[in-house]
Amino acid sequence: MDLSLTEEQEMLKAAVRRFVDTEYPKETLLELQATGQNAPSEPWSKLAATGWLGIIIPTEYGGEGGSFTDAGVLFEELGRGPVPGPHISTAALGALAILEAGTEEQKRGLLPDVAAGRRTIALAITEADYQWDESDVQAIAATDGDGYRISGTKVYVYDAAAATDLICAVRTENRQHVGLALVPADAPGVSIRRLEGFAWNLAEVRLDGVQIGQSSVLSGRAMPGESPFAGGWLAVERAVANAIPLLCAYQVGGSQQVYEMSVEYSRTRIQFGTPIGRFQRVQDHIINLVNELDSARWTTYEALWKLDTERDAADSIHLAKTVSSVAYYNACNHAHEVHAGVGSTTEYGLTLHTTASRTLYQFLGDPRFHRRRLADALGL
Amino acid sequence: MDFEPRYTAEQEAFRTEVQEWLRDNIPTGIEHPADSSDLTYEQYQLRRDLGRRLGEKGWLWPTAPEEYGGGGLTVDHSVVLEEEIDGYNLSLPPYYDSGGRLGGNSILVWGSEEQKQEFLPKIFKGQIRTWQLLTEPEAGSDLANAKASARRDGDDYVINGQKVYVGSAHGSDYMWTITCTDPEGDRHHNLSWFMVPSDLPGISVFPMDLLSSAGESGAGSGVKNIVYFDNVRVPAKNLIGGENEGWKVATTHLELEHGTGGKIGRNWIVDRIFDYCKSNNRRGEPLSKDSDIRESLIDIYIDAEIGRLFQLRNYWMRHSGAQVTYEGPQASYFRKQSGLRIATGILDILGPAALTKDAQWGAGEGHIEAHQRAAIIALHPGGTTDIQKVIMSRRIGIGRQQRERAGALA
Repeated sequence: MDLSLTEEQEMLKAAVRRFVDTEYPKETLLELQATGQNAPSEPWSKLAATGWLGIIIPTEYGGEGGSFTDAGVLFEELGRGPVPGPHISTAALGALAILEAGTEEQKRGLLPDVAAGRRTIALAITEADYQWDESDVQAIAATDGDGYRISGTKVYVYDAAAATDLICAVRTENRQHVGLALVPADAPGVSIRRLEGFAWNLAEVRLDGVQIGQSSVLSGRAMPGESPFAGGWLAVERAVANAIPLLCAYQVGGSQQVYEMSVEYSRTRIQFGTPIGRFQRVQDHIINLVNELDSARWTTYEALWKLDTERDAADSIHLAKTVSSVAYYNACNHAHEVHAGVGSTTEYGLTLHTTASRTLYQFLGDPRFHRRRLADALGL
Repeated sequence: MDFEPRYTAEQEAFRTEVQEWLRDNIPTGIEHPADSSDLTYEQYQLRRDLGRRLGEKGWLWPTAPEEYGGGGLTVDHSVVLEEEIDGYNLSLPPYYDSGGRLGGNSILVWGSEEQKQEFLPKIFKGQIRTWQLLTEPEAGSDLANAKASARRDGDDYVINGQKVYVGSAHGSDYMWTITCTDPEGDRHHNLSWFMVPSDLPGISVFPMDLLSSAGESGAGSGVKNIVYFDNVRVPAKNLIGGENEGWKVATTHLELEHGTGGKIGRNWIVDRIFDYCKSNNRRGEPLSKDSDIRESLIDIYIDAEIGRLFQLRNYWMRHSGAQVTYEGPQASYFRKQSGLRIATGILDILGPAALTKDAQWGAGEGHIEAHQRAAIIALHPGGTTDIQKVIMSRRIGIGRQQRERAGALA
């Protein structure tokens, strides 16, 4: 038993933290938040140049061949920013979806570009009947000559506005299969509209008769003679399941940052002639916050460890997502209690996390969804 | 990271050895009663006997130093032992021995070489069972206000006073206690610890009538007592850590009592309620298929998992020598608060069947009913939840001007 990071992981952690401090100072994060531009302009190309986007992609496909825990360390540090995507969408969800669903040729063709950040990806799964179940996918891939025409509306798509490519969940005309199609974001018939407000990097993606060729169907799981879409949903479910602990690590990083901000503020903010941290009412908020943080941290890293050691991780994945989503959400709430008015100003930076925590609360399945899945995994 | 011990072939062989030994050496009739106050004297003797035999093998206190009678084993060996004995619903030691656990470590840190040689082998080999005596009527959360006095007289100290919420049923061999050795002295500079033989003249023990003793699972104390000291003469060599130096010893004792030691093992009540809901029907369906009950079970499961991970983390930190700050009281706070939430969840699931040990109408052969009582009483032993939060705040560095450091552990 050893609950410490390896020396290499500690080095990675320090390197990512330096990178985030240098390239994503608060001013940059606030500007990205305001404009919604987080790819492919600076500092995204610098992040891509580090090679970290290939962290879980095997070396034969141009990646670093790292472990899930290595990737957890990376995403935890990015979460401290919070550095906006499409890193999770590309390096975690996109890479895993291609690894799970792609043919050998597709993996060789796509993954080196993903690892290098030249190709950025968003996973377009959810629609008007918003859930993460197969039955909610209604977008249709209609046969059209040698290829397909895709029509439908994807909503609440995370990172869509920053992606060069969309991996879309689509249903075959005969409604028998839900599979995956790789659609260039600039293809004719694709329109992407950011959803304004408190949502964080969510968009509507309209697919209006978008033409794709056979080679754009991620068909690695289809048996000979089967529709190329067959097995796609299973593949994306696995990709999402394995990416969830990485999203959780990102939430852990955000919670950690919010915790440190709150401790610092409570030590330096003077009211009634004393640092406010001396007040037990204020201490209660910080204790609640650190308890949420550590709950998220240890459920997340146990899930990552299970993935790395090829244990059955289903229960841990659902547990980690439930706990981390609630933890990041509550961490921000407690931090607002500590910071009061100062925390509500955009320039202070807390609201970056508050905003992120709301969208990530439901992204890849909200706590209720994962609690139901957890009950199933436990054989209840 | 590695959340499980990584077993070498040698350690796997060790597990087999442990399994075989436990199978051959754990007697029947030792089983944990639903209410630890129902542990009979005969059962207690069986447990003590098992403790002595574990002690002979160095398995009673596996990681304690070999030179003082401990096992001198690695953390991974220790985990094997804890897991295997947990399978029998027992823990190490297999009886209530708070003074051994907390006093033993305190002596290891603060005792003289002579004192270590005298007391530690007895503890680590299971020859004695020790109670801890801290709380007094006027010294609960404020331990530094202890008033039980110890006055030097020749080669002895003479102890007078009263300690409450002490120990267990079936007596003790030693009492590990904190006293005031300078009533006029400055706070935190007037206290001293003693290892007091329990059979000295002038000591009297009276059981208290409590809703629950809320002892630790598996080694539940069953009974709490009031202990009176009436001119009890204790040899001066039994003073641990120096006269008026008791607060520094207390920081070590309290560090462990506040949860830094961590723990390996399942949450028995959670296993029990899950099994119950899977195997009992209501309106023709297992309880676990009812959507409200599933919600409660998942709440319980999440609390139990977080608690398990906090304990595992602390166990690892304790045995790997990692720097601890707020983790001990955090685990303690979480265990207490989540324990009460879990009890509420069980009450939601079972209704009044959770509240009676009636053989026909109670659920869980009395274990559930005992847990309902224990969960509320468990909020205070070893420091109230509010005290845990005060310590966390100091360790985080917000409660006081200077950030407080954790107590020294061996």
